[in-house]
Amino acid sequence: MQRQGFNRTAVILHWLLAVSIFFLFISSWWMMGLPLPSPELQFRAFPFQLHKNIGITLVIIILMLLYVRLRHRPAPVDSTHMKPWMHWLAILSHVAIYGLILAVCVTGYLSSAHTRWDTVWWWTIEFPRIAPPSEDLNEYWGELHMWTAWFLLGIIAVHVSGAIYHAFRNDGIVRRMMRW
Amino acid sequence: MVSEGLNNNTPSWASILGVVAIMLGVFLTAVHGNEAMKQSVIVNNMPASGVMPEADCPEEELEEEGISVAECEYLIDHVKGIALAAPDWFPTAQMTLSAIGAVLAFLSIIIGGALVNYTPWASKAAVTVFGGLAAIDLLQFAAVVNTGPTLREVYLGGILLWFIIHLMLVVGALAGRHTEAEA
Repeated sequence: MQRQGFNRTAVILHWLLAVSIFFLFISSWWMMGLPLPSPELQFRAFPFQLHKNIGITLVIIILMLLYVRLRHRPAPVDSTHMKPWMHWLAILSHVAIYGLILAVCVTGYLSSAHTRWDTVWWWTIEFPRIAPPSEDLNEYWGELHMWTAWFLLGIIAVHVSGAIYHAFRNDGIVRRMMRW
Repeated sequence: MVSEGLNNNTPSWASILGVVAIMLGVFLTAVHGNEAMKQSVIVNNMPASGVMPEADCPEEELEEEGISVAECEYLIDHVKGIALAAPDWFPTAQMTLSAIGAVLAFLSIIIGGALVNYTPWASKAAVTVFGGLAAIDLLQFAAVVNTGPTLREVYLGGILLWFIIHLMLVVGALAGRHTEAEA
């Protein structure tokens, strides 16, 4: 038997993911405008660690979401509500979003792993150092982190536009991911 | 075979208002959360003497960040300017309002979902939560107006925009309730 909408756990994880991603974007634009760190100036310490905490948590959330979605598949969308190209665009954008979220998180971690700063997840679990500090590698992974994040923002815009389109048509498709 | 149906009788106004509330709620939760963090970080990291140390701008860091020495020095002046422009009561007030705003914004995501599914309590809850968010905007507006030109320039435009958006959402929910009553 299949549900018409997504599983409740998937819905909660999806919206938790959405809020976290927007928080990471907005807070990162702000924290990059804080003074560069020095022994007397530690403005960046808390926001950067929080950014890493949430980023690493996102990897766990997205893996959980993928597991729940694959295990509890909803009934397919009624084909009268979606043209074939829309259906394919929706599938492609979902795959791209999942892939890009993982890519942004991994590149961000690798960039951070090549700095002199340690990662202590939620200030409790110390991550082992996987590489010595390296300016070049930090910059390389940092650039990738930035570009994958911009692509992710672009794909999210497509995803949100699709949701709003279906909400205006009131065809029931958005209700699949908005059921508590 | 479908075991659990969705409510397919949602009127258009509820579907549209719900989705808009969810999208804006996701964004606003992040905005308010970030604002609370901003105030906390600035307050907790300002030197007790109030005198900011010299900027530390190593060349490799400048290259990585893509900024000049002048901009690196300005980053300190910028934070100092924000801290200097804030009266003593401002960070606490802003943190409190932002924390309440983040909770209400998160609730508006849930309310949005309820609207999309046309749950019986949704439109009443929507008026309350959107009204609460508009009230937070007004309180933040009043707080910022009572600071000085630096913070007014930073905050007022954004707060006004959010206030107008929340006013539209409240009016939309009220109009929906009236339509419901007439049906």
